[in-house]
Amino acid sequence: MNPFVASSGLSNANIRLAACECITPFGNTEATFAALLQNQIALQSLPVCGNTGDDLVPLALFPGHALQSTASPRWLPVVQKLLAPVSGSEWGTARRPIYITSSNFCIGNLVAYQQTKDRAHLAYGSPALCVEWLRRELGWGRSITTFSHACVSAHIGLLQASRAIQSGLADEALVFTFDFLSPFVTGGFHALKILNSNFPAPYAAKATGSIGLGEGAGYTVLSRDRGEFAIKAQSHYNELHHFTSNQPDGSGFRSCLGPLSEAAAGKRIWFKGHGTGTLDAARLEAETVSAIFPEAPLVGWKGSLGHTLGSCGIVELALAAAALRSGKTPGTVGTTHPTTLHNVATDAFDNTPFEGVVCASNAFGGAHAALLLTRHD
Amino acid sequence: MIDLFIQAIRTDLPETESPQQTRDRLKSAFPVGSVRRMTQLGLLVGATLKDLQPVPEDTVVYATSFGESRAIESYLESFPGPSPTLFQTSIHPSGVQQCLIGIQQPIGELFPLSGGAELTIQALLVAALAPSPRVIFCGGEERATWLTEQGVASEYSFAFACALTHSPGSAPLGKITLKQVSGAGSFPLYDWCRTLQERLPFSAIAAEGWQLQLDWFPA
Repeated sequence: MNPFVASSGLSNANIRLAACECITPFGNTEATFAALLQNQIALQSLPVCGNTGDDLVPLALFPGHALQSTASPRWLPVVQKLLAPVSGSEWGTARRPIYITSSNFCIGNLVAYQQTKDRAHLAYGSPALCVEWLRRELGWGRSITTFSHACVSAHIGLLQASRAIQSGLADEALVFTFDFLSPFVTGGFHALKILNSNFPAPYAAKATGSIGLGEGAGYTVLSRDRGEFAIKAQSHYNELHHFTSNQPDGSGFRSCLGPLSEAAAGKRIWFKGHGTGTLDAARLEAETVSAIFPEAPLVGWKGSLGHTLGSCGIVELALAAAALRSGKTPGTVGTTHPTTLHNVATDAFDNTPFEGVVCASNAFGGAHAALLLTRHD
Repeated sequence: MIDLFIQAIRTDLPETESPQQTRDRLKSAFPVGSVRRMTQLGLLVGATLKDLQPVPEDTVVYATSFGESRAIESYLESFPGPSPTLFQTSIHPSGVQQCLIGIQQPIGELFPLSGGAELTIQALLVAALAPSPRVIFCGGEERATWLTEQGVASEYSFAFACALTHSPGSAPLGKITLKQVSGAGSFPLYDWCRTLQERLPFSAIAAEGWQLQLDWFPA
């Protein structure tokens, strides 16, 4: 038994969100949340690798940004604006550590180097180099841990940051997540044939599935004693059945979401799903949610924002917290009836009868991660 | 002060061995048919990890600074017609997933880390806070070609896996002690792997704010 952390589920841990913000092509948390409520779609049909004549696919880029990577990375002003409240040397110390998560870091700069042979791109050519550059730009200390677990990366950062606080090793923790697009990732998903000309319609009952890719970043400050919302439980599970598909019986989804049902017992919750727009995963997720949380309406927001990859766990957590704060949950933007299951909420709804939300993400390798967010007791 | 106990160790430091040499040397460790698409790092990490017989109740902590460097090189060279297989293989944490998918071994918690000179301590801290009775800390790198020449991939290929517990058990091999201190230091992953292989004692500040002590028990 670990003397520092009593249980894997973090039940009743009361790790609180002292801050949780995101930035997307719509703007900050407030602007993005308002756009979702208005059913706006950030995705646009754009050339898959940024070149004239490429296939057109749904991508959500920051306004005025091109897909190609630049040296220095084009998105630095975006994250500087987002992180202004948490920049400086107060963060990145042993008692106030930082957890940085991404699936791509600056990998697009290797594509740019390959095409231009401009060595300036190599300064960002590995996750460690990218994080060190960010650390200097933001004035942070060196106590930074970096996670990369594809599209559950942000959840992994939240889980470890929660444990650092719960164990007493940290007073507060900053979790920062980001993913910006480049031909490396758009070309890859297009080659896998799940990024095509169709716009995503998460949880829709359709003949073919498709995803959109979006850019996003977000951060949370986790604390023991401040913040109106608390993470009551977290769960993580890895099927390791196949790189790009799930166990067909849905056991991976059950193994991740099952442990949260105890923490959610007696509470009315809604469910913010992963919902990229692929068909099999959507059906398995909707069925599992219906079985474990039968009263929970299921929504997904990637039909508007696109899949923001490793950052989606915190980008969508910030939006879920905004929804709890406002009393209104955006519907599954981009999706109309019929849906894969009855529990999918296509329209916005009043969430004031609900006490919390489960936020879930999935990733390559059959990785699953989820958390229960409620108002702090 | 945090203590972890080392219960088992596997290391492999082929350093400049070619991917084909590694494939030939290790192919018998994996199911027939799964080796063809495995990377050198996947083979090295997989062979050391598999020996420790991971189970779903274990936490797996996986550390690599550069990941699948050769797959990244080949994927970049496949443009303008990017390869779906190489894209899939190049994604972190493919190195540890290749083996576990090959043997169809689910894992509850998997923490894949990246990082630089402080990566060893960051990974050990993740292991220290994992609630599972046993944590498998594994990792490594693969030597690439032009990415290595440009300083964005490892010079050496190597891998390690060690089974860690929070309690000593009956016959621990060694003890890891982590202590919060003031000061800065580093302990790169390659040095950690060699320290494990040679059962070397260690006591120094190994990351910002953390001292690492490594003691070995008599056999």
